[in-house]
Parts: sequence; C-alpha cells; structure tokens
Amino acid sequence: MLELPTIQDTMNDRRRINGPAEGTRPPVYASHLKSGGATDRAQRQREPTDLRKIFLKTGLIPSASGSSYLEFAPSSSLANARSNPKSLIPPSSALKLSCTVHGPKPLPRSAAFSPNLVLTTHVKYAPFAARKRKGHIRDASERDLGVHLETALRGAIIAERWPKSGIDLTITILEAEDDRWWADAPDLHDASWGMMNVLAGCITAASAAIADAHIDCLDLVSGGVAALVSDDSTEDSAAAPRLMLDADPAEHRSIMAACVVAYMPARDEITELWLKGESSKIALEKGDQRSAHEALIDGAVDAARGAHSVLSEAVRETMLRAVTPL
Amino acid sequence: MASTSNEAPAVPPSLSLPPSQFARLQPHAYLLAHLSPPAATNQPSIRANGREPLQFRTTSANCGSLTHTNGSAVVRIGDTAAVCGVRAELLHTDDIASWSVARTSSASTNKRQRLAELGEDVTEEDNEDEDDQDRAHIEDLSLLVPNLSLSTGCAPGYLPGAPPSTTAQSISHEILSLLHSSRLVKADDLRIWYQPPNLGPEDEQMDVDEGAGKKAETEEQKPREIKAYWVLYIDIMIISLAGNPFDAAWASVVAALRDTKLPNAWWDVDNETVLCSDDVSEAHKLTLRGLPVASSFCVFEADAAAGWRAKPIPNAQQQKKDGKGRWILADPDGYEDNLAHERVSIVVDKEKNGKTVILKMEKVGGWTIDTEDLRRLVDVSSKRWDEMKQIFDQC
Repeated sequence: MLELPTIQDTMNDRRRINGPAEGTRPPVYASHLKSGGATDRAQRQREPTDLRKIFLKTGLIPSASGSSYLEFAPSSSLANARSNPKSLIPPSSALKLSCTVHGPKPLPRSAAFSPNLVLTTHVKYAPFAARKRKGHIRDASERDLGVHLETALRGAIIAERWPKSGIDLTITILEAEDDRWWADAPDLHDASWGMMNVLAGCITAASAAIADAHIDCLDLVSGGVAALVSDDSTEDSAAAPRLMLDADPAEHRSIMAACVVAYMPARDEITELWLKGESSKIALEKGDQRSAHEALIDGAVDAARGAHSVLSEAVRETMLRAVTPL
Repeated sequence: MASTSNEAPAVPPSLSLPPSQFARLQPHAYLLAHLSPPAATNQPSIRANGREPLQFRTTSANCGSLTHTNGSAVVRIGDTAAVCGVRAELLHTDDIASWSVARTSSASTNKRQRLAELGEDVTEEDNEDEDDQDRAHIEDLSLLVPNLSLSTGCAPGYLPGAPPSTTAQSISHEILSLLHSSRLVKADDLRIWYQPPNLGPEDEQMDVDEGAGKKAETEEQKPREIKAYWVLYIDIMIISLAGNPFDAAWASVVAALRDTKLPNAWWDVDNETVLCSDDVSEAHKLTLRGLPVASSFCVFEADAAAGWRAKPIPNAQQQKKDGKGRWILADPDGYEDNLAHERVSIVVDKEKNGKTVILKMEKVGGWTIDTEDLRRLVDVSSKRWDEMKQIFDQC
C-alpha cells in the first residue's frame, strides 16, 4: 500500500539553478500512511448556490497597461486551519493569481499582417502554486488553460479596432486549486477539477485587466463553475447527485461532472464552454426535467453572474480612479 | 505647463509639453532639472519621484499567506513587488552517488586541510569550524535552490514563456552566492539524523547469563548517521517590476526563510524512507544567522561623457570635485534605473552589539564613486537595516 513518491526528473536547464542532481522527493507524512484519512475531510459550509467571496483589484502593476489581482476567500476548512494551525497539511487551497496586459502594441516586423488585434495569452503556475511542485517550463495543462482563456476573451474583445497590433496577457498563478481532497486516492471520477476553478478565475481576472488597459469589449466576461457532486459516503446510486456552484474539489467526495463557462450577461452570450465528466449518464433529482449538462450550464452561468457583480464593481473603481486623479 | 493667463491665446502657442511627456522624451534632462533646480528658485534638489536622493521607497512585507509552501513572503518596495515561496523536499543520502566516499574523506580530511591552511590555528573555536562545514555541505550538495522569475508579465521587456532573461539569471545567481557567503541557513537545520539501534549479531541467541556481560558493550552506541537532507527550493516571482529587483527579491527571500517551518522528520527503518510528522507543534523553524539587508544605489551623472573627453570642458573637472555633477540615488525606480550606468549594491548585517558587518559590496559600471562615498553609503545601508528590521519583525 505504501506508495513512494517518485524522484522528480531533474531538468538539465542551464539557465536556472537546478538543485541536487540526484533529485529530491516530496515529504511523506506518517499520518497519511497509517490510515486513509487522518484528519476530517473538509466539508462545504456554504449553500449549494453560494459562491466563495472574490477579491479583485485592478491597476496594481504600474508598468503594465492593465493589471489585476484576484483571490478567492479561503473556504471554511482552510480558514480554520489558518487561524488555528494543527497540521502542516493544508485542508484545501484558495486561488490567488495576478494578471497583466501589455499593449496594444505594434506587432513585430516578422509577423504577418493582421487586420485585427492579436491576443496572446500565457498562463503559468508558480512552482509553489500546487501541492506538487510545478516545473519552470509550461506543461500541457498550462498551455491548455492558455488556449481556453484565449477563446473566452476573443469573443468579447472588439478586435477590428486595433489592426496590426497585439496584446500580451500573462497570468501568474500563485496558488492553485486542488483537484481532490489531498488524502483521497484518485478514483473513477477523478479529473483535474481544480483546473476548471482556475480557468474561471483567470477569465474574470483577465477581463478586469483588459478593462483596466482600456481595450474596447462588448461586455465584461466573467467565469463561473458548477459541478454535479455525490457526497454520499456509501456508493448509493439511488441518491441523485447535487448541483453545486463554485465547487471546491477538496470539499467533495466525488465530482461526477463539472462545467466552466465564460459568460457575458449583457448579451446573454457564452464565449467559452468546457464540460468535463460523464454528464449524459447522470440522472438529476425527480421533478427536474433538465438533462444533466443543461443543469450544469445553467449553474455555471449563475455562478458567472455572481462573479460579474464583483467584476463590474472592480472595473467601476478603476474608472473612478482614472477620472479623479490622486 | 499650460499657460493660465487670459492673453495666452494671442501669443502663438509655445512648444511646451506636459511634464509626463517631457519625462518620456527627455528623461535625462527631466531628472537633471529636478536634481539641480535653478539657484534662483530656492527649491531643494529632489528626485523626479519626489524622494530625497538617499531616501528609500516605502516598504511593506507580509508573510505566510501561501498555502502550499513551508514559508512564504510578499515584499513590496514602492511599485516593485516580489513573492517568494520556500518549498522543502528531501534528498536521501542513499541517492547521493558520492555520499559514502565524501563522508569519510571530505568531512575529516578536508576540514583538516582547511585548518592547516589557516595556519596552526587548530584550536579554533568550534563555532567557526562548524560554519565552515556548514557552508561546504550546503554548497556541495546544493541544498538551497533559489530561482527568480521575471517572466510573469511584470514589465513589458520580459517575455512570458521565454527562458529566463539575463537579468533573471544573474539575480538568481547573486542570491545563491549571497545565501552561501552569508551562511544564512544552518546546515544542521537541514540534516535528518538517524541513530541506528544497537542490535548485536548474536542478539538472538543471547543467553540469560551473558546478558549481564553484554550490557557493558551496549553502552557504546553506534555513531549517528545522516539519512537525508532537506532541500529548500526558493522560488521568487517578481510580480511587478519598477526598478531595483534585487533588493525586493532578497528581502522576500529573507522574510520567507524566517517564516519557514520544517516538519519533524525521521528515518523509518521498516519503510526504508524518511517520514514526517504533520503536527505543527513538532515542526521547527529555521534558525538563521543574522538578517542581511540589501540596499542598492545608482549614480546619475549630469554629463556622463565628461570623463571620456580628451579635453575636459572647463569647470567640468571642478564640478566633479564638488560632487555637483552627479547624484547618488538610493533605491532607484524603473525610470532612474534606465538613466544610470554606475550601480552600487551593499548588503549589511548588524551584530547584537550594533556593529555593522558588510556581507557584500558590489560596484559596477563607472568610476565616480570613491572610498569616501562608499563609506557614506555603508552608513546609509546600516540605517536602512534598522528600517527593514522593524518591517521584518512586524510580519
């Protein structure tokens, strides 16, 4: 049963300081080995339709034309662990990211002519962002996030107003979300659920940074996540999975399916939709005629509307700052 | 700048620019005008950002806000912000290829050699000796791994997704060498010891009679051995860059290391691995040697080419002597950083009795700063140390 962590590949990267050539192993906690769950599982204290509080502020990075910083309020288990630390293993984590926009600026000479604004997105985790140390070079999941983010934003930006120019959007994730509770073994329904929350946060933060850079958009895009979870301890198939908005994967035993949308409320338009899990096989509660994926999308849109209220408030503050100089 | 009087429209519009545009077009003249105001106006010489020449920007620090780190800190110096996270991982001595060789030879002979080189001063203090060994261990096994990243979109010049720029590489290495030379981290904090139990080979067939006789032998214990080391991955993300990244990065490293807690770890014979306890009360903080504080300065010259001219312009030489043609600016921001070529970086620490110790002094890019100036800057740096000490103690 003892599963030893594998030695991380030591990259032969001459431009960085690489550490011991022999490779290092992450620490193994004794309590983790003894029993499956040493501490109590994090429990969701919010209502199914309650979102975590979002802290969003723009204009913190003066050298960029637009910037924003986004933080999710820690869930109750994490907040408890912070105020009264007992274990070194954090029960869950809360998203923290910073986003910068550089541009619009002329495209490099070598680039082909473009009648529209060229949007480039980069999403990078800090090495210390997740439970497992991340590498310095972008991995597949980070590239994936970048592409999803680009599609989410491209639909909102009025690109034809800036021919032959481009903007660089960079997101640095200082703390990511967990994919599951740390003590759980990966099971059948396991996937990188944390990525979906990260993407939702990225979309909201990027939208604020673009507004801060004064780039014309159709509307502010905000991201939202909804998930179908079954929290029953017994694998009782009779109980229908419940729809949770802004689900923190660390707080649920099993996530069946999840959905993230990028949503523009003013036009009631979805610019990006990402659905994961076997939603077609899930039956909702009796009386609910919707199919599972319809319910998921509705839930995600509701969550995005919630995030939008925070976003519009942050952008309003930005504008007030621009109008009334210090 | 715009004229305010009513007759202004009658006069053809003059070529005046708002200050912000002038600053962009003629940065050198703009800063010079601030630093040397006309004598008639009676204005003090002040920098374009409103600071005194030797004034540092407001600094704030915040520790322990990142969940997945052993220690973390955010340091903001003006508009430059650095986030540092320390992650501890284990390096098993079994994995180190040269471990058994290195332990027998280098630990003893090397030390002896080193002492021999120092003269016959073998009766040196143990403390010093330990320090030497510390440094060798941490350096040889590279137990401290600092990496700085500028590709976070912190400034337009640094491309995200590209390999680390020259600046990032050089700051990473400066931090590494300063960590080594200041011997900030004690190697003893990073060692995981194991005391092998004394199980004699004949233990199993031991007779009751023999038991008494053997007792004496069991008294002498097997020597303790090091089973693993903690490796500290120190990652610094410069979130926002507005000049002087080194001071901010170094301050964040020191603050994060002060915040770092390592779990209690031991060698588990059954699993043949190192296990840790997740109990916070058993974890120990790092004991750091001192509190090194970095302060950087740049030199702004009114006429940078003066020294290179074959024929000195009259008065130029005189000006130089008076020190009027140049200004030493503490903690340069991004604007000043681009205008200065000569830089000084001083890292100081203070001992308990208030004595200032210089840990590093670096001066590059010019020739205007002399020993007298350096002495003055060390004084300024030691004042800065007091400020930073307060900030570190609060977080």
